[in-house]
Amino acid sequence: MAATSAGRALSLCRQFQKSLSISTALPLQHTNVLTSCKAQLSTFRPKFCLLHINNMGTSLAQQCRALHTSQWRRGLEEFFDETPNWGEPTVKSGAPWTAKQLRTKSSEDLHKLWYVLLKEKNMLLTVEQEAKRQRVQMPSPERLTKIERSMKRLDTIVQERENALRLLQTGQERARPGTWRKDFLGRTFWYRFKEYPIPWYLNRRYKRKRFFTPIFVDSFIRLRIESHLHSKILKKKADLENKRKLQEKFSKLSATT
Amino acid sequence: MRLTALLAMAARVKVPPDYRYGTSRPWTVGAQRMNPPGKKRRKVFVEPIQPEDWSLFKGDTVEVLAGKDSGKQGKISQVIRARNWVILEGLNTHYRYIGKSGEYRGTYIASESPLLVREVALVDPSDRKPTQVEWRFTEEGERVRVSLRSGRILPKPVVQRRDGIVPEQWKDGPKDTSPDDALEKTYSASLKTFEEEISGATGVVETRAGRRTFWY
Repeated sequence: MAATSAGRALSLCRQFQKSLSISTALPLQHTNVLTSCKAQLSTFRPKFCLLHINNMGTSLAQQCRALHTSQWRRGLEEFFDETPNWGEPTVKSGAPWTAKQLRTKSSEDLHKLWYVLLKEKNMLLTVEQEAKRQRVQMPSPERLTKIERSMKRLDTIVQERENALRLLQTGQERARPGTWRKDFLGRTFWYRFKEYPIPWYLNRRYKRKRFFTPIFVDSFIRLRIESHLHSKILKKKADLENKRKLQEKFSKLSATT
Repeated sequence: MRLTALLAMAARVKVPPDYRYGTSRPWTVGAQRMNPPGKKRRKVFVEPIQPEDWSLFKGDTVEVLAGKDSGKQGKISQVIRARNWVILEGLNTHYRYIGKSGEYRGTYIASESPLLVREVALVDPSDRKPTQVEWRFTEEGERVRVSLRSGRILPKPVVQRRDGIVPEQWKDGPKDTSPDDALEKTYSASLKTFEEEISGATGVVETRAGRRTFWY
């Protein structure tokens, strides 16, 4: 655990760290190991604290702690909920992040929020697994759905921004290249390209794939087209019949009322 | 297929297009017994009411016009849009035993039957009589229900949230972001990609060029 003074300051700053209001003036008191690293405190850049071989007096654990790239100094307890919440049947939680709120955030903030949400998700999954092991109900499982939705929306926002930039700069509609191809049954499908280290003419497994239709399949394609057209006609007839029946039943009703 | 997609598929209940909706939700045991996967039930014709014309909400007071309890007023406890049904609290009931096991006959309870929307009518709060309702716009541009007889606006009933939270009385927990922080705008449009912005902010300079790859 960090030194008591640093621990107290960190617990005070925990609120700021969990939320997005990253205050630039954080009163931090490091242990003697950290003060030996010239860390930038004003900005939240990861500090690459190097292990000082001079500090033979400090324990290995303390030296390993020097490799943290953020202010956070907690261990495996992050996989568990806060101690007051243990044993509670329900835990209060706020609303998930909406896409509208996330769109106003910078990339840095979104990047940090993603990891905050990820760690919370890991904690909730641990709680869920432990509840399964103990064969009891997980307290407030809606927290997991809220986190998952927030993460999904965050991903959507990042994709939106990426799409917009790509469309502007290159005009490409898709991030992943692909093309229309015919399979061996004559069906046209969107084939998405994959990344390979070797060209296609050296790739034996790729050369075994068939993206063409043999001639003997043509009669079956014709039958398929016929059945597709027939099903379209049947669907149209069914829709008309349905409409007629609804008219018959409900216009009679509205006539009487 | 991706594992997450497969698990999500298993969690969601797939309902066929000609599914016959009942009073139980499709994922419950009772509904699955009534509509097992292979069974084709007789088709019910549901009057097509447009979503914008729907005027009955949970918590509204309505009067029953037809059926056993005609003339009585009650509160809507559930709306089933798929069948144009409303279920009122304590009205149009039939009695049944619940929780039967072995020799024990179970508890005798009153269970409500659904009513069609054409069999109920909204109650005008000014004279407490059933009335026809239309959707109209106010001076401010708000879309409201107006009683055709008296012209009074029928406000949408305020329903308590399922999790019991009242937004006005909410107090943020230690892990919640304050409203100011959540709404604060930190985004500035730039021509950098997400990865470029983050690596720029953290001071990471990538000098390695990746090996040549082929896309096909």
